Amino acid sequence: MKLFVTGASGFLGQYIVAEALRRGHQVSAVIRPKTDLSRLSWYDHPEVKLVRLDLREMSGLIESLQGVDNVIHLAAVKAGDFYTQFAGTVIATENLLTAMKKAEIQRLTAISTFSVYDYLNMRSGKVLDENSPLEKNPLNRDEYAQTKLIQEELYRNFERDGGQVAIIRPGMIYGRDFLWNACLGAELGESAWLRIGASAIMPLSYVENCAEAIVIASECERALGQTINIVDDNLPTQNIYAKKLMEYMEKTPRTFFVSWTVIRLIARSAWLYNHWFLKGKARLPGIFVPAKLHARFKPLRYSNQKAKEVLNWKPKYSLQTAFERSCSDADLLAVPVPESTVSKVA
Amino acid sequence: MTTLVRTSTLKATVIGTGLISKEHLSFLAESNRANLVGVCDLSEAAANYATQRFGAKKFYTNYRQMLDEVKPDVVHILTPPHTHKTIAMDCLQAGAHVICEKPITPTYDEFKELWSFAKQCDRHLIENQNYRFNQPIFKLQKLVQEGTLGEVEDIEVRMALDIRSGGRYADENLPSPVHKLPGGVIHDFLTHLCYLTLLFLQDFDGVKVAWNNYGGGDLFKYDDLDALVFSGSKHARIRFSSYTQPDCFSVILRGSRGYAEADLFQPYVRCIVPRAVGKQLSPLANQFSNGWTLMSASVNNFRRKLLQQTPYEGLHFLLDETYKALQENKPLPIGFEDMELTSRLVNALVSQENYL
Repeated sequence: MKLFVTGASGFLGQYIVAEALRRGHQVSAVIRPKTDLSRLSWYDHPEVKLVRLDLREMSGLIESLQGVDNVIHLAAVKAGDFYTQFAGTVIATENLLTAMKKAEIQRLTAISTFSVYDYLNMRSGKVLDENSPLEKNPLNRDEYAQTKLIQEELYRNFERDGGQVAIIRPGMIYGRDFLWNACLGAELGESAWLRIGASAIMPLSYVENCAEAIVIASECERALGQTINIVDDNLPTQNIYAKKLMEYMEKTPRTFFVSWTVIRLIARSAWLYNHWFLKGKARLPGIFVPAKLHARFKPLRYSNQKAKEVLNWKPKYSLQTAFERSCSDADLLAVPVPESTVSKVA
Repeated sequence: MTTLVRTSTLKATVIGTGLISKEHLSFLAESNRANLVGVCDLSEAAANYATQRFGAKKFYTNYRQMLDEVKPDVVHILTPPHTHKTIAMDCLQAGAHVICEKPITPTYDEFKELWSFAKQCDRHLIENQNYRFNQPIFKLQKLVQEGTLGEVEDIEVRMALDIRSGGRYADENLPSPVHKLPGGVIHDFLTHLCYLTLLFLQDFDGVKVAWNNYGGGDLFKYDDLDALVFSGSKHARIRFSSYTQPDCFSVILRGSRGYAEADLFQPYVRCIVPRAVGKQLSPLANQFSNGWTLMSASVNNFRRKLLQQTPYEGLHFLLDETYKALQENKPLPIGFEDMELTSRLVNALVSQENYL
């Protein structure tokens, strides 16, 4: 299959390209014009075609989609102000979908996020799955959640116009260089942590597990028209994950703990004060905004049942193996070149 | 100019939904002088979002279609500078007054052409010169008018912004269109620097300017500006720096009796003038007074930050005054002289014959 992967040089994208190549696909890897290729082991693989363009503009997009069977759309912006994220996530998606229509490509594996769910109105301890309600008040959430919600609307519109879409919502993705997780709390400089909560289950997805699920979804007819959450098996609690993380750190950080109950009460009080006395005009830090706080720390349970059933997928790596691989010297992006290709080149 | 004597709301539309649109649209959404009837952007998703977020009636992706259907009284043009003239002419021809983001045109000649066209169409043309209407600037003007500083002889307008190490201007993948302005990215801020200088200098008869690109590379044309502007015996310095921190937008006025300093990003005004306690004790009195000023400013600025009050307070004031003037057929807060003089100074600063 010829796959067109946007955001190919991003944290998840680079693993998706590697996994797609291992599974025998040809990949058009979309990277930005100035992206440095040196860290991408697969950049000169014979089945990779590098497509240098910026999705915030249409230039060259339709031409580069010619002959593609399926698009895996990952490109998004997670940092910067709302308008920066809007351009990098929403306008980029709008341009891609417009180009796909013009190039008459229908199949899309669209990567969304757990951030689109409505955590505030979910009861603690409940199972968050694909049927859980989406956020109804995006303005109470961060820019990432706001723009990803708009992005999902664009996917639905594309589907209504005849597109075949599988929406994949990964949980919190971790892996090499990204082992710290926002569900633990906040890093205070380089040597201290503020831990919020202790026993909430973390909706984690190890990057290689997630990449495999996404590539399978792009191959799988049954995934079309579906929304599928991706998390690992045997999800750890915050304490277990933090302990594991510290095992692999050279120096143990000084840790300050705030319980979920206390921080929830503080956030609720701050929100009420803002609502009653400041007419909701105050912009408080995220941990004092209930909708943002609940999205990161609320104790919930998570299911990957649908992913297993629809994709016939099982997360390959456990938490322990994921940490071992992430902290090893192994090149996780290395893809062997098939013998037939080697002999053809020779 | 055709009179528009009425107190009913004015039909307003917005073209361009980038970063600055948030300020224009939030004003229009809350103002009882304006009725936001349309929003236009090349991106349907962006136009649709702005329409829903700020309660506009309808969104468009073609501004000419919007002008035909809606027939707005006022159009806000918030697109990149090189598009202003064409869009503004279409809006003026369609019978709308135009409020345009800075710089109104990339060159002085284009400004004159556009102004002449607005006169032909009997419509108003207003450039956004928002910082003129910020509280610290009003305070400085009051100090000058009351003679507290004596005769103002020296003016310094300085902006420090770390534009090189990140953000939209440093994006090499999709360079901002303002890189193509004659003064590069700094040109995008030059209007602000110039109208604030002219607010206190009144006019100018000579300019010397040093443009530099200390960071090198192909993306930035310049990242540093140092200019001297002369008006008779008065001097002004216009400075843009990418390498000094923290970010600031300061105005310093030095007069024959004393001096005053203001910052627009972290608002405060401090003043060093002769005090009633006499020449010997005036320095001490000034330090006590300035200490109190800075402490008060820290509390006020914490409150401003918490309540999301931005340096765009002047834009909301300017827009309200503009709509009021249009409704009541009174003089606009930004007139031809303000725009012409500003555009002429910007032109002088980017003219090679004035380079050091």
